[in-house]
Amino acid sequence: MTDETASLPSSVSPTRTGFLSALIRSPKGLSGLILVLFILFCAIAGPWIMPHDPVHQSLFSRFAPTVWQEGGSAKHLLGGDNMGRDILSRTIAGARISVQVAVIVVSIALVAGSLLGALAGFFGGWLDTVIMRIVDFQLAFPFLLLALIFMAVLGPGFTTLVVALSMGFWINFARVVRSETLRIRKLDYIDAAITMGVSRARIILTHVLPNVLPAMLVVATLDVALVVLSEAGLSFLGLGVQPPTISWGMMIADGRDYLYQQPWIVIAPGIAVLMTSVGINLFGDFMRDHFDPRLERTRT
Amino acid sequence: MLRLLLPRLLQSVVILLGVTLVVSSLIKLIPGDPVDIISAGDPSMTVEDLDRLREQMGLNRSVFEHYIAYLGGAVQGDLGTSLRQHMPVADLVLERVPATAELAFWAMVFGLVLAVPLGVVTALKRGSWVDYGGTVVAVLGVSTPSFLLAVMMILWFSVDMRMLPASGYRGSALGALFTLDFAGFVTTIRYFLLPAISLSFVLVAVNARLIRSAMLEVLEQDYITFATAKGVPRMVIILRHALRNALLPVVTMLGLQVGSLLSGTVVIENVFAWPGIGRLAVDAIHNRDYAVIQGVVLISAVLFIALNLVVDGLYRIIDPRVGS
Repeated sequence: MTDETASLPSSVSPTRTGFLSALIRSPKGLSGLILVLFILFCAIAGPWIMPHDPVHQSLFSRFAPTVWQEGGSAKHLLGGDNMGRDILSRTIAGARISVQVAVIVVSIALVAGSLLGALAGFFGGWLDTVIMRIVDFQLAFPFLLLALIFMAVLGPGFTTLVVALSMGFWINFARVVRSETLRIRKLDYIDAAITMGVSRARIILTHVLPNVLPAMLVVATLDVALVVLSEAGLSFLGLGVQPPTISWGMMIADGRDYLYQQPWIVIAPGIAVLMTSVGINLFGDFMRDHFDPRLERTRT
Repeated sequence: MLRLLLPRLLQSVVILLGVTLVVSSLIKLIPGDPVDIISAGDPSMTVEDLDRLREQMGLNRSVFEHYIAYLGGAVQGDLGTSLRQHMPVADLVLERVPATAELAFWAMVFGLVLAVPLGVVTALKRGSWVDYGGTVVAVLGVSTPSFLLAVMMILWFSVDMRMLPASGYRGSALGALFTLDFAGFVTTIRYFLLPAISLSFVLVAVNARLIRSAMLEVLEQDYITFATAKGVPRMVIILRHALRNALLPVVTMLGLQVGSLLSGTVVIENVFAWPGIGRLAVDAIHNRDYAVIQGVVLISAVLFIALNLVVDGLYRIIDPRVGS
């Protein structure tokens, strides 16, 4: 189970120019990148491009129609929600928390998972056994159940969300980095380095990690999509970030009681989630095809 | 056969022991005293009540003692008592398992029924617009959160068209089918349609891709060329020779997909007010009903591991090459 992704084709040596020209020629990668950049722009520039304060309530704007619906005005392009808050502003605000959680979680998972994977692969022995048994254990255990345990222990909130998701996502990195390390470990130049007395830590950092970087980037990109979806799902259940922080999942959960009055409370954040995950998946698929076609999706 | 399954059985037991350890120590990991948190909203509780509660939750024992006690109870079917509903946790969880299991079952059925033709057609028409459409479905399938699909389908089929119920559960559709109660089946299956389809969309996407690539690989094999040369009709080749082999990778994935379905039902049950274990778990977290959360996690893990053993056994029967 742990050696599925063993050995990259050694002929793959992508250069930066090769990546860019391939990206320009790929409609899939390019459209994915544009979507991702758009969401990133909303997350970063959010406070400046929002037409209204996303938490400001107004009785006059309660269930305000969208600009193209009858009676709609340009004041609330996507209408108002059940408390008269501007749906467009709230949707833009939701991008920030989504991107924040995704970046933090994937960074933690990437660093922790890669280090543990490199240690397991490089040193082998009992260390390898312990780390990989934990990985197997988590693979054999539905992720959300694990998250529920953390929710129960720590209580819902931003920190809990980040901890629970990081605990769920490090294993992907550990597996990829371990199998790559195992392959690289056997190469002659590593033996040469060991003979020359280069320290193990330095070998891992200067020879092993740079070689596994492409594979790690692919896993990281595809994982961002999974983290965004998981965050939205947990927030939808009320187990993610708590109000007044705005999250797309939470908006969809709030809006489903008012589908009849103003479906855009749900549709707007829904489109935002879809744009984000479709964008990342398209870009991630392109990266995988480019760097490492053999890497398979391990989760659904 | 037994000799082959024995290591897997042992492995399952070890995993279950690990799950029990994680689940039983949950109560110890909660920062502060959970009893204080629980009693915070209830001024009628006396000091003796609190002590009894601490005793009941095992807070005055070491992690190891508590683990042994919890394991001992679990083996005898005692998973503690729900603090809110004052019922044995095992009963509470088990009475809700059938609704969740049947929802997952129908999702799996829809997932396969839609994925097989989609996978076969996209493989046969490789590079055509049908294949392109299949790619779009694949990307959308892995990108769409099930709850979003669920809410949108409620908007279309329940709010706008008033065709299907927006939530609820009216009993087992499989049960009605087995007792040949077709009117009952029609009534009950309508409640399954929206939640099961929301859950199955991702399965359709992933399985159709798996079948497509397996079909492409199988169709290039010599025995397919041979059958064609022999004059076997194209339909027979596709269905009998190619598809049967192309389904193998899907069977391997079924076990893992059961896991993602279990996770998925937690969300979907909350959308459709479905009386299953997923909704029980989320309610328990909001109510800080720790024993129930422990019970749900443990029983789900047992179900998941058992199903994976079954899938493993199935796989060995379908593909005799495995393990020989």
